[in-house]
Amino acid sequence: MIKFLVSFFLIFLSGVSYAESVIPLNEFGRLPILHEGRIKPLDSFARIELIKFAKRENPNGLIPLEWLARCIFDPATAVQDKIFLVENAETRHIMGLEERKKPFYSYTELLSGLEKTKSDTAHLINNLPDKLTREQQDLLSIHENALQYTQILRSFSSVLPLDVSLPLDWKKQAGLTDKNTVNFINLQKISPALEEKIKNIVTAKGEDPNKYNPTELELVMLGWKIKTIAEAGQNNNLFRIIPISGEGGFASPWELINDGKGGPKSQNILNNWVTLSHAWQTQDAGAWADAIDSINYHYLSALPENYDSGRIWVETIYNSISPFQISFLLFSLSFIFSILFFINHSQKIYRIGLFLLICAVISQSLGLVGRIYVMDRPPVGTLYESILFVTFIASLLSIFVERRIQNGIGLISGAVVGVILSLLAFSLVGEGDNMKVLGAVLNTRFWLTTHVLCITIGYGWCLLTSLLAHIALVRQSISRKREGDNDDHHLSHMITTHALFSLLFTTIGTILGGIWADQSWGRFWGWDPKENGALLIVLWLIWLIHGKIAGQISQMVWLGGISMLSVIVGIAWVGVNLLGVGLHSYGFIDGVFWGLGLFSALEIAIITTMVIIINKKKKVLNAV
Amino acid sequence: MDFSKAWFKKIAFKLAHPSILFWVMPFMIILLIVGTLSQKELGLLRSQELYFSSYFYMLGFLPLPGGLTLLSVLFINLLAKFLFKSEWSWAKSGTIITHFGILLLIVGSGISYLTSYEGYLTVQEGQTTNIVEDYHQRTIVIRQGNKILHETLFQAVTEGMVLSPSDGAFSVTITKACYNCGIIKRPEDEQDGWTKPGRFMQLVTEKNDPQDEKNMTGIEFSVTGAGQKSDGKYLTFDKFPKPPQIIKDNKTYQISIERAHRSLPFSITLEKFKQDFHAGTEMAKSYQSVIKVTDGQTSWPVLIEMNEPLRYRGYTFYQSSFDLSGDKPYTILAVVENKGRLFPYISTFIVMLGLMMHLGLRLSKRGKEND
Repeated sequence: MIKFLVSFFLIFLSGVSYAESVIPLNEFGRLPILHEGRIKPLDSFARIELIKFAKRENPNGLIPLEWLARCIFDPATAVQDKIFLVENAETRHIMGLEERKKPFYSYTELLSGLEKTKSDTAHLINNLPDKLTREQQDLLSIHENALQYTQILRSFSSVLPLDVSLPLDWKKQAGLTDKNTVNFINLQKISPALEEKIKNIVTAKGEDPNKYNPTELELVMLGWKIKTIAEAGQNNNLFRIIPISGEGGFASPWELINDGKGGPKSQNILNNWVTLSHAWQTQDAGAWADAIDSINYHYLSALPENYDSGRIWVETIYNSISPFQISFLLFSLSFIFSILFFINHSQKIYRIGLFLLICAVISQSLGLVGRIYVMDRPPVGTLYESILFVTFIASLLSIFVERRIQNGIGLISGAVVGVILSLLAFSLVGEGDNMKVLGAVLNTRFWLTTHVLCITIGYGWCLLTSLLAHIALVRQSISRKREGDNDDHHLSHMITTHALFSLLFTTIGTILGGIWADQSWGRFWGWDPKENGALLIVLWLIWLIHGKIAGQISQMVWLGGISMLSVIVGIAWVGVNLLGVGLHSYGFIDGVFWGLGLFSALEIAIITTMVIIINKKKKVLNAV
Repeated sequence: MDFSKAWFKKIAFKLAHPSILFWVMPFMIILLIVGTLSQKELGLLRSQELYFSSYFYMLGFLPLPGGLTLLSVLFINLLAKFLFKSEWSWAKSGTIITHFGILLLIVGSGISYLTSYEGYLTVQEGQTTNIVEDYHQRTIVIRQGNKILHETLFQAVTEGMVLSPSDGAFSVTITKACYNCGIIKRPEDEQDGWTKPGRFMQLVTEKNDPQDEKNMTGIEFSVTGAGQKSDGKYLTFDKFPKPPQIIKDNKTYQISIERAHRSLPFSITLEKFKQDFHAGTEMAKSYQSVIKVTDGQTSWPVLIEMNEPLRYRGYTFYQSSFDLSGDKPYTILAVVENKGRLFPYISTFIVMLGLMMHLGLRLSKRGKEND
């Protein structure tokens, strides 16, 4: 069965397998595609799709663009690429996959498992995700991904050469010579006559193939192949790279054939894509470059009016330099230098650490600016984006803190917050680094700019304040003095000021959220989990600040409480989404749930331990 | 006189004491956490009733103050502090302004709680309506054509209760009422006297769903006095497409479960419903309802879209949802009447101003100290 499936698949994709690519792919990566509601470069498309299947951009060292080119121009080879990550051992067992060190599998390896679990999956589709077990969710996701992969593999199956041989007379009817390869468009020309012929055979001899002579059998098989290819092309609309006038602005090669979209211009562009595929298959770099030039030339007159080539250019640059990975590296280096500074107090090391932190913040800001330009909206539409923005705010503020106190505390705070939040963002990259378009309610620049920016600035400020409070606790727990020194007083005052700024932004952000809700849904406050989460931070800060002012809490409780802001923000920002209820719910993310739980438990343990140590030490010092 | 002044001062100072806020806040935090977590099981509406709009709630065996109690105590404490213990100085101006903004916010939420009404209006393209339906409240309605002859809120319905239309044509005795009904097959030996579809199906009480819109409210009832042809046992439920009809003296009566409704003093006509998608996707970019408002002899067109509601005569209409399953589209507009609507806007501005002043003064003071 599996052999049949593989051979069947290979026949209908392309007959020939091609060698390793030596073709330059930069220009190819800049060609536009309409994907998930947005015109983006092929480079982004390749990365997003690969992340979907493999949960990373370069599985087994694959280069996304090269993988994409192979998928669309040389699918027979692409089905061997090990890109499907099956992490769950139970799912691997259900699908009959062999165990290996890195659980990546190729499409051909998945085929028998897909066939085996097809009927089980059919009834899972109608269930809500939260009603499915982890294994069922995985299985469904593998089937969905495999289906999407076949769409990519078959993107050009309408125009690519097929491994189909035609009898001579039919070849003539299709307008082909002996030397020509056969493609689906050629087959379409002979399809009506062939159908008629098959009908006559079936009328005369019935449906049992054993009764047909070899010529009749060949014709019936040919008819079946044409029908199967046509069915495979139905709804194949993922690879929208041909500009057309009217609705949508882009069509896939199959849409041009099935829905009759496009016109002479679109046909010219499609022909250029066919030339491009030949260039890939023959690994002819010159022909490849010419075909891309020709596609770009034809695009000039065919692209929609709102097309902005600047955005495509910026997005490919953004993809290639990965500014947030650079910032992560710089934050990490800055952290190392800040630790070294605390060990040997060298001003040179201090300056290098600060320089690295500033560079990290610049890199983070450039990444955000790039996203703003590409998406034409504030960069806070998803959880992933908000983490990037909070990283920027918290680390930027830490530079101001450092500028004011100049003792390394701001430096280490910025580095730590940068490293931790970058890691958190990377863990969510599969969920959100695709610069997605937003739904109707979120699709408002005004409220994203006011409410969401304000509340995320508040989150960033809270995290920095919490970190400063952690540092104050650490200093006190290792200090041997009864009273704090000047730096401690300075830090304490700074924590209070930052707590007030945190309160300002979270309060205003929360109330603005209420006003947005009033504008969108007609109620200012609905006790939705996300609203309650934001209010939780505000109430926590009000409680601590007023308790401190009125002298009802000690300095130690104040610092412990402010340190706990990290947990409160974690719950309000990420945790409430895990409830899966309310208007703001982003759905349950398993890893995030356990990560947040572990983080909260660790934070509570660390803060409590530090407070206990300080109190004990104070008692001892007071007794002396 | 002096005694009462001193007594008043003493009380006011006690009410303004910061320890009240200090103890109210943890209870508010607990309430917020419990009320939020409970939404997973109870749904938003029920947890709102149980925790945020209640005076007390039970946390296991422990009675704890609910949202109304805590907000009232907070308001009194803050008001007393604002009036009697504020330091009316430039240095404290930010704090005073912030406190005033919060007081205004609580007053506004109180007014909204007491006066606001939320419902929805459903209208098909080309049709006109002035009926606003409630999201949650169900009623049993006996109507003759468009004329309502009897209406009872479902909460007031008990088994054995007798209802009749205003013309007294017949009597309806409720034999079963369930807020969330399930449907099972009626045993063959119990089918006598039932009219379709009740002959083959019966209602059973099920646990209420946390999402109120999923609760299928229904009743089983018997009709007497309508004549031999119409007397019998019936059932009906929420959104049942063919509610039972009783015919007496050539008049047709319909008994149905409907959402409680109220009439607007003007009418809304849906001229056109538009939906824009992100290119090449089924993801909506925007929804728009082009409507016509008719008030008396005057009519005018209005465009309602996401984040762009219509406000008129104290009502606000929001683009809430739509239904494209029929021949012509329906738009669903959320309708809100709220006399406290402006308070959050004003108080936001005041709180923002107050907090910024407080921080500004704090930073400038610090700057001077450093100088």
